[in-house]
Amino acid sequence: MARALAMACALAAAPSLAQEKAAVKPGFSMPVDKPVRILVFRPSVKVGSQSAGGLVTPNADWTSNARKLLSEAVVAARPGGTSDVVFMPELEGDDALLLADYQALFGAVADTVLQHRLFKGDRLPTKKTGFEYTLGPGVSRLADKVGGDYGLFIVTNDAFGSTGRKLLQIFAAGAVGVGVSSGQHIGYAGLVDLKTGDLVWINADYQMGGDVREADGAAKRAKQLLEDFPAPAGGVAGAAR
Amino acid sequence: MNAWQAGIGTVLLLFGTANAHAKEPKPTGSPSAAGYAPIGRDEKGLWAEAEEEERELKTSKLVVRDAGANAYVRHVLCRITGEEACAKVRIYIVRAPIFNAGMFPNGMMRVYTGLLLRVRDEAELAAVLGHEFTHFERRHALSALKKERNARSWAAWLTVASGLTNRPHNYLPEFLAAFYSYSRDQEREADLGGLKLLHDAGYQTMAASSVWLRQRDEKDAQAAALGVKSLKDSDYGPFESHPMNVERMTYLAREAQAMGTDKSFDGLTDFRQAMAPIWPMLIEDQIRLNDFGASEYLLANLARGDWTGSLLYARAELYRARAKGGDLLTAETLYRQAIARGDAPAGAWRGLGLTLTRTGNQTEARSTLTEYLKRNPDAPDRAMLSAIAEGN
Repeated sequence: MARALAMACALAAAPSLAQEKAAVKPGFSMPVDKPVRILVFRPSVKVGSQSAGGLVTPNADWTSNARKLLSEAVVAARPGGTSDVVFMPELEGDDALLLADYQALFGAVADTVLQHRLFKGDRLPTKKTGFEYTLGPGVSRLADKVGGDYGLFIVTNDAFGSTGRKLLQIFAAGAVGVGVSSGQHIGYAGLVDLKTGDLVWINADYQMGGDVREADGAAKRAKQLLEDFPAPAGGVAGAAR
Repeated sequence: MNAWQAGIGTVLLLFGTANAHAKEPKPTGSPSAAGYAPIGRDEKGLWAEAEEEERELKTSKLVVRDAGANAYVRHVLCRITGEEACAKVRIYIVRAPIFNAGMFPNGMMRVYTGLLLRVRDEAELAAVLGHEFTHFERRHALSALKKERNARSWAAWLTVASGLTNRPHNYLPEFLAAFYSYSRDQEREADLGGLKLLHDAGYQTMAASSVWLRQRDEKDAQAAALGVKSLKDSDYGPFESHPMNVERMTYLAREAQAMGTDKSFDGLTDFRQAMAPIWPMLIEDQIRLNDFGASEYLLANLARGDWTGSLLYARAELYRARAKGGDLLTAETLYRQAIARGDAPAGAWRGLGLTLTRTGNQTEARSTLTEYLKRNPDAPDRAMLSAIAEGN
């Protein structure tokens, strides 16, 4: 007991959150009676290296590559079967502040969903069912400027186990019999109705696959992020599956 | 191979890994030199991460955009660092009522509005800016990253290896304590580096120490109003990134005297003038903290015996917000004193009017609120106030 505790404290060994979950607003499906345009907000991407002791050092090249590759892969994956997937353009002046506001608001709402709705452990009693989250109708001001029906948000956080971390893992498992995790790969994606501001879909995974530093891996990651994307009304599952 | 051999073998491998990292180019030269770009994987990574944060901050509503205040803070930085070096620093005044500033490895500096409320003159502001700039110039974030990474790795290896013995032990606290001790050394270095810049630019050097002296007094005032013991002399413990205020106050005063206290420039007038446009916001945010003791201490310190209309108004707001015992009557009196001085902000009429609705004279309350709306026609709470003023 003392041994396991000492190890867990020193290694910041996260409890295994082998969890992957998605939720859709009840009754929501992608409309099929009109063309749908999805705006992809600038993905929040972090890629770094995890040292033996667990500290993450950000890596500039990996991060910028991953952001570019992931963005391309998300468009190529045609979420919801729509081919009209465009990037949110850079905005200037007050519009840039408005965009930043909603980007931050989405982050706050998504954090709440992840913590209190999606995963077991810290669920709020009133949030176990249903899916009532919104950024408010004010978000339509953004859609009016750029044109788009849904906003797609992508967040990924990767830390690849360094050689030192992997050696520690082998040593700990082989010689001491203690489990040490190597690397962390967290990601989630969310879809917001840009007219009502409602969060209509979210998908999160604390152990994602796909090496985001490479094109093939990024494609795999994009596919995982878009898993369980809302299907078109009356249709089959979304093309992203 | 027994377990100990395995342990030794792994430790050797660890060094092998460390050597593999040694191939990375070592950053040299001043990061504040014109045209400097980060060198090596670690520095590039830290800069990229900070750039991403800066990207967000640039479009944040928390950034104070007042052109005059921004130009002034930049002017003070350039005065102590020289034009070339300060051109590599981007300053963001961030609206948060805390006494702090922060330097990022890529040259992004955050100055919180709570700091601007607490420094009394330009020399004190320059002392803090010099401290932050020294962090940047000496790549403190980079060396701290390496230090912490090594500390955690050694702790992890030793802890796991101790699992082979019959006395398993978590080494992380010891190694983290060593890291924090290093961090405190960096802060001392930044304090003294900042003091040197302050001195060389001709500012009065005692300013650097004064900031901490008053920070301690503020803690006392805060505790007294809450009826609790002041913690200003309680040891912060081994996991604290900064030295205790009492220590900083003391060595900064000692060094200031050793450097010479012949320079007397404090820039008080310029500082007050530059802060005036954002000052009402700073004090309003402070009052909303519901921290009566600290707020009253701050106001008295800013006044230095000369209670301007703005300061009287702010003090009245503080009393009106607490509204205990004789507070409302104190507030009423202070609003009247502010208005009598002639340099009171329009808010004084609002405060007096709202206070009077509770202390008695309804007719005067209404006419005072009407006067406020005349002075500030764009008041965001106009609808509510005019309803009161019209007696509805």
